[in-house]
Amino acid sequence: MSTVVILTPIIISSWPVIAPAIMGAAAALGLVVKDDIAEEQNEEQVHETVEVELAESEVIAQNLATEQELVLAKGNLEIRIKRDERGRCVVCASGRDYSKAELEQKAQEFTQKMTQCFVYNRVVSELQNNNMQIVNEEVMEDDTVRINVRHWVD
Amino acid sequence: MANHELEITIAKNGEVRVHVKGAKGKKCLEYSQWLAQIVGKVKDQHYTSEYYEPETKVKIELHQELKEEG
Repeated sequence: MSTVVILTPIIISSWPVIAPAIMGAAAALGLVVKDDIAEEQNEEQVHETVEVELAESEVIAQNLATEQELVLAKGNLEIRIKRDERGRCVVCASGRDYSKAELEQKAQEFTQKMTQCFVYNRVVSELQNNNMQIVNEEVMEDDTVRINVRHWVD
Repeated sequence: MANHELEITIAKNGEVRVHVKGAKGKKCLEYSQWLAQIVGKVKDQHYTSEYYEPETKVKIELHQELKEEG
């Protein structure tokens, strides 16, 4: 035994780095990228919408202008991820047949999964860059990811 | 060579718990600081007994005997 550290994640990165985390979260939660955004936007449908902002986030304006967004869908549920005017990452959930509380829960669920994917990608990439050996990796019952690493030093 | 082990747990909400094993003293801190730079900010940190143990140092003593010839 030596030390135990608890770290709170902060997402500060460019869109190309965040995008794989978004796609990872989408795959894990069964969401798919929606291609027909323009068509949908023309439809006059009013749905309940909930917006969740990632407080500890900053999306560096690279390849993504303000108010540009990525849209994911699963059935009637739609999740939009965008960069607001302050540069923060925002997740919006909307959809027919969903209450405000349910949408808030969906947006939070996506935000958490995206954060977990982002942190996982960052950590694994840095471990590999520093020649640290991943000896075991497992997903626990509560969706926690555990990585065991070995590092030989002189 | 020393073997250091890290157990990194990434919770559902992205919070990371790192348990550094086998590294003593400031080497422990180097790992936690390095991971803090990657992930975000330190929320909590506590040390276990190993942290306070002195770092292992290998000491090699060389002895040479000189013999005078003649």
